[in-house]
Amino acid sequence: MTGFNVSSGPLKYDTEFAREIYSLENGHHIKKCMQCGMCEVSCATRKEMDYSPRKMFLLLRTGQREEFFKSNTMWMCSTCLMCKVRCPRGVPIVDVMHDLKCYAISKGYTERAQAAFYQSFWKEIWSRGKQFEGGLMARYYLKRGWKDIRKDAFRMKDMGLTMLKHGRMPLMPPKSVKGLKDVQKLVEVAKAQLQKGADR
Amino acid sequence: MKYSFYPGCSMEATAVPYLKSFEAVAHALGIELKEIPDWNCCGATVASGVIGDYPAQVMTSRNLALAEPHGADIVVPCSSCYMNLAITNRKFKEDGHFRQMADEALASVGMKYGGSLNVRQIIDVMVNDVGLDTIKSKVKKPLTGLRVAGYVGCQTPRVFPWEFDDPEQPVFFDKIIEALGATPVKFPVKARCCGSSHSVAQPEITADSCYNIITSAQDDQAHLIAAVCPMCQLNLDAYQDLVKERHKLKTSMPVLFFTQLMAIAMDLPPDAWALKHNIVSPFTALAKFGVGK
Ligand code: SF4
Ligand code: SF4
Repeated sequence: MTGFNVSSGPLKYDTEFAREIYSLENGHHIKKCMQCGMCEVSCATRKEMDYSPRKMFLLLRTGQREEFFKSNTMWMCSTCLMCKVRCPRGVPIVDVMHDLKCYAISKGYTERAQAAFYQSFWKEIWSRGKQFEGGLMARYYLKRGWKDIRKDAFRMKDMGLTMLKHGRMPLMPPKSVKGLKDVQKLVEVAKAQLQKGADR
Repeated sequence: MKYSFYPGCSMEATAVPYLKSFEAVAHALGIELKEIPDWNCCGATVASGVIGDYPAQVMTSRNLALAEPHGADIVVPCSSCYMNLAITNRKFKEDGHFRQMADEALASVGMKYGGSLNVRQIIDVMVNDVGLDTIKSKVKKPLTGLRVAGYVGCQTPRVFPWEFDDPEQPVFFDKIIEALGATPVKFPVKARCCGSSHSVAQPEITADSCYNIITSAQDDQAHLIAAVCPMCQLNLDAYQDLVKERHKLKTSMPVLFFTQLMAIAMDLPPDAWALKHNIVSPFTALAKFGVGK
């Protein structure tokens, strides 16, 4: 966390990195931020974040590459939209958070539990067009490995059994979407369109 | 009243009681629902964070294209599904650049969406299409004396702020509760976050958020919480043991989908109440309305 003990050494602005972030789908909105702090006081998960959205935007503008990759900010966002309705500059903060998650994953920063969760969730959608709780959990623990399974096993088992008892935990996945090929193609085409737009 | 219906993944699984009670209530209110044929996942709050906003919205738009031939507005109960479908739909209507690109993508699989539909949240439909007076007229067993904390959650009121309600202190949900004869309590956290999908990777976050919500309901002497969103209901209900353990909380708080309360007040058969699916037992709170196991 940044404090008042600022070094007298020159501050290095990595403008290359900042430009890369601006080129993300919603990245240019970051330039509109006026550092008022409204998102900071509104955020549902502020106390879990190492940098508030406001501080994160400052870091990005000054190109603090390493700090960004170390930070948990975007992974803590729960998409509650409070910041988006309150930001006086109209920064779609939550959409920027989406970009930051994508960017971190694309650069291989996937060791956080949340990143594993996001990837598992997406694999589920990709492979059947729908989400299945059982499949999601299986994929998630496969990614997280034995240590996490042991840590969570007891609690998850209890909760899973309770849900099963109340008929809220289907053991069989839902039927795959008939047009699954179309779903996949749509995603591929859309990604290619985005890429083309970014290269232009 | 005719609608296309987008149930979303959770209604088929963890939120069955929502599906059962909603279908029964809709039928009793003269709402005709036609499930969107072969619909796919909306991407929840997650897809955008892996593949990006635009690809996730294009994936969502397949549902709009599939619904269009039916020619009726789409009703959506889940808040995340509502967020994704409604924002994508709005982009088709108002963002020419988006529309051009998305048309191109849809055409690659031989589909087309003309942008003729509206995407409607279930509360919006209940208040503005069905109407509070109609709901009142269908109530046979008013829930007099039942104090209800109406939990609207995050995305429902905030996707399009002020379009059908206040984004931070929404009122429509309380009006529905009132129409059933119950008393909505003040419940200032009614539109705060439930911890959403942190329930998997970092359940403590969900437990802390739910603790705030449950204790706020208790402070206002609510007998139960009514929920709109499958995720909120699941977090508040299934994680309540974890909340109690972590925060040394002694008393429990039943959490129902509001359509379950409607089914009870409208005196529909117990199958429509679907109460066996609720994890925290609602039976003591509802005993005086003739609701038993
Ligand atoms: S509320 Fe908006 S302008 Fe204010 S600090 Fe946050 S992003 Fe910047
Ligand atoms: S949407 Fe994310 S960043 Fe914005 S207030 Fe909610 S949790 Fe915080």
